[in-house]
Amino acid sequence: MALNNLIVTPPPHLKSKEQTAIAMRDVLIALAPITIAALVAFTYNALFNIVVCVGSAMFFEWAARKIRKKQVTLKDGSAAVTGLLLALLLPAKIHWLNMIIASFVAVVIVKELMGGLGRNIFNPALFGFVFILIGSGFLASWTGHLGFLPAGFDGVQTATPLAYIKHGLDGAPSYAALLFANYGGAISEVGCFWILLGGAYLIYRKVINWVIPVTILATVFILAYILGSDGLYHILAGGLMLGAFFMATDWVTSPMNRWGQVVFGLIIGICVVLIRLYGGPSGAVAYSILIGNAFVPLLDRVFKPKRFGEVVAA
Amino acid sequence: MKSRAPRLSARARRIRGGVHPPEHKHLTADRPIRRIDAPEVVILPMRQHAGAPCTPRVKRGDVVAVGTVVGDTEAFVSAPIHSSVSGTVQNVAPHPHPAGGEVLSVFVENDGEYRIDPEVHPLPWEDMGPEEIRKAVRASGMVGLGGAAFPTHVKLAPPEKYPIDTVILNGAECEPFLTADYRIMLEYAEEVVEGLRIIMKAVGAPRGIVAVEDNKPLALRRMAEVARGRDVEVLSLRTRYPQGAEKVLIANLLGREVPSGGLPMHVGVVVNNVGTARALAHYFRTGMPLVERVVTVTGSVVREPANLMVPLGTPFRAALDACGGFTEPPAKLIMGGPMMGLAQYTMEVPVVKGTSGILALSQKETEFEIPLEPVCIRCGRCVEVCPMNLVPTYLAAMAHKEKMEDLERLNVNDCIECGCCAYVCPTKNPLVQLIKAGKAELARRKVLFERRAQEAANRGSGKEGGDGGQ
Repeated sequence: MALNNLIVTPPPHLKSKEQTAIAMRDVLIALAPITIAALVAFTYNALFNIVVCVGSAMFFEWAARKIRKKQVTLKDGSAAVTGLLLALLLPAKIHWLNMIIASFVAVVIVKELMGGLGRNIFNPALFGFVFILIGSGFLASWTGHLGFLPAGFDGVQTATPLAYIKHGLDGAPSYAALLFANYGGAISEVGCFWILLGGAYLIYRKVINWVIPVTILATVFILAYILGSDGLYHILAGGLMLGAFFMATDWVTSPMNRWGQVVFGLIIGICVVLIRLYGGPSGAVAYSILIGNAFVPLLDRVFKPKRFGEVVAA
Repeated sequence: MKSRAPRLSARARRIRGGVHPPEHKHLTADRPIRRIDAPEVVILPMRQHAGAPCTPRVKRGDVVAVGTVVGDTEAFVSAPIHSSVSGTVQNVAPHPHPAGGEVLSVFVENDGEYRIDPEVHPLPWEDMGPEEIRKAVRASGMVGLGGAAFPTHVKLAPPEKYPIDTVILNGAECEPFLTADYRIMLEYAEEVVEGLRIIMKAVGAPRGIVAVEDNKPLALRRMAEVARGRDVEVLSLRTRYPQGAEKVLIANLLGREVPSGGLPMHVGVVVNNVGTARALAHYFRTGMPLVERVVTVTGSVVREPANLMVPLGTPFRAALDACGGFTEPPAKLIMGGPMMGLAQYTMEVPVVKGTSGILALSQKETEFEIPLEPVCIRCGRCVEVCPMNLVPTYLAAMAHKEKMEDLERLNVNDCIECGCCAYVCPTKNPLVQLIKAGKAELARRKVLFERRAQEAANRGSGKEGGDGGQ
């Protein structure tokens, strides 16, 4: 009986084209508009941040995998995404050591020490960001509009759009400015239209679904109004858009079930508004998403898919 | 449902889940069913159905005709096996079986005369009662031809406490590549409807539905033409794998969920494949038992993919030769479709009652990257596609760690093994494969546990005089 070298494996014999690496590439594509906008606004300051963050994130992942004697997984692109998101969260002028520390915390402590991609509880980029936000006091150097001109390079100290939420909206940037080009705060806060563009692409490519971002934005909008603040301003200002579309939707650190995702979005939305109105103006989105992340194991346990055939089974 | 015009709109009650892999049906969709000659020797395994295997009823040197019983058993859940050629029994010996392992098989040398067994005569089902029909169906060796090969007469004999109100003919054919059912609906629509009416009569169901995926508009139209004025509905289903899985089919068509661990009859439904219905009608018209079936022989490396009417017991090699052989050596040979079909290690396995397709895949189609470190990135894709609303990634993880209590708690036995989870997983984790292994292990341990408990009870009663232990 000739064996013919036939391959024998259990079914299914077809696999979808979906792959982690392709999804991560889609995330990078989706981040392109906001990254370009940041580069236009902050020129080589932004470029420097991105190079340092992406480079160090990839280096740390490579080193951590080597030390743990695991397969190096740089090809899946998750380290590059973490680095880019981290860079986008930071202001233009920030000491490079802060970025290295944030990268290290994000990749080595939050991700690799938890067991690698898929086993981390918290969003690595956000955790790294919050670590230096609390730890290094770089907030003091949080700078506003820098512009193209070399003259602007030293930076102008201005209030970030979020500060207006706390201290009244007199002189705050207009909605249109927030949508397209208002510089203040992180390098990604250069117009949330560019983020929406990327978010739409991710939904179109089915990398993320709309449930989490829409729940977060709706919750923030409605709750801000209820509490007497400007809901629209809330969802356009600060890092909310980036957080809602790119951070809260992280596969690893968000619930797997639809209703769990809704509650997850509610938790984040409520925390964002409460922190912004009653806490410090900066980092509200980051804190809120990390709080939401902490709820994920519980949400996955509580919101399970309804068992097929359970209703009829008497 | 009164005798109104057949509806072509599904009540598309779409439940969540499922995937839509590339269909690949164009390879054979337009190839009419072609009858091929039986080979010089047919190989008839004594297990071609779910349930108890048959024991040979012939021995070496016996002369048999087309339709002569060569294997049977007293067990209820079983079906007799008939010779597909006339000739002499050459041997009775184990032979590789397409469902795995070696199975005792009857080898019949074909004399090329195709003499028909004298027992074979037409059966006027319209004059027969349900019990007579069931008896006849058992004698025909009929099993589900969609692939599961469950004995049909068992399906037609639901206990009285479960009245059947609807018979569904499954024409979804949701597996990629396969077109056998599609061609049957186009070419034997009359017989399909007649088969449905036979089943309806046997189970006393007033309602009959032919359900077809909407990627087969010609079959839908043809079935609707034939069904017109015959109290049979033709409904279209959204094209989505595993639309043809009976629990999914019933939920989508009727909004009824078969209870966990239950059967379609528990919700008043009997589901049969369109091919089974056609074969039943053919049997009652001619009296010829199940000795041949339609097989889609396809794949990118098959020279002339086709839909063949193949005598049972024909080796895969002969069926492939009838399609011009290969353009390049196949890397994988599969019985059935690519989602649930079984990979073969030899082309000498025979076509059996459950062989809906023979699929040959090229080296390129077979290759995909298997991660060195399979790891779940919690994307939730498997949860989205699971038609049984399970959490496949947890099940797979628990199976991997052999946590049997957790497997049961997570309802592992609800899994229908459709493979959507493994298909869609972006990290290419072998989800359904692990879950299947977990299910098998769970069943094995249960048997073991019960046997030990039984042994302990026996020992106890022996010692303490029938007291049953402490």
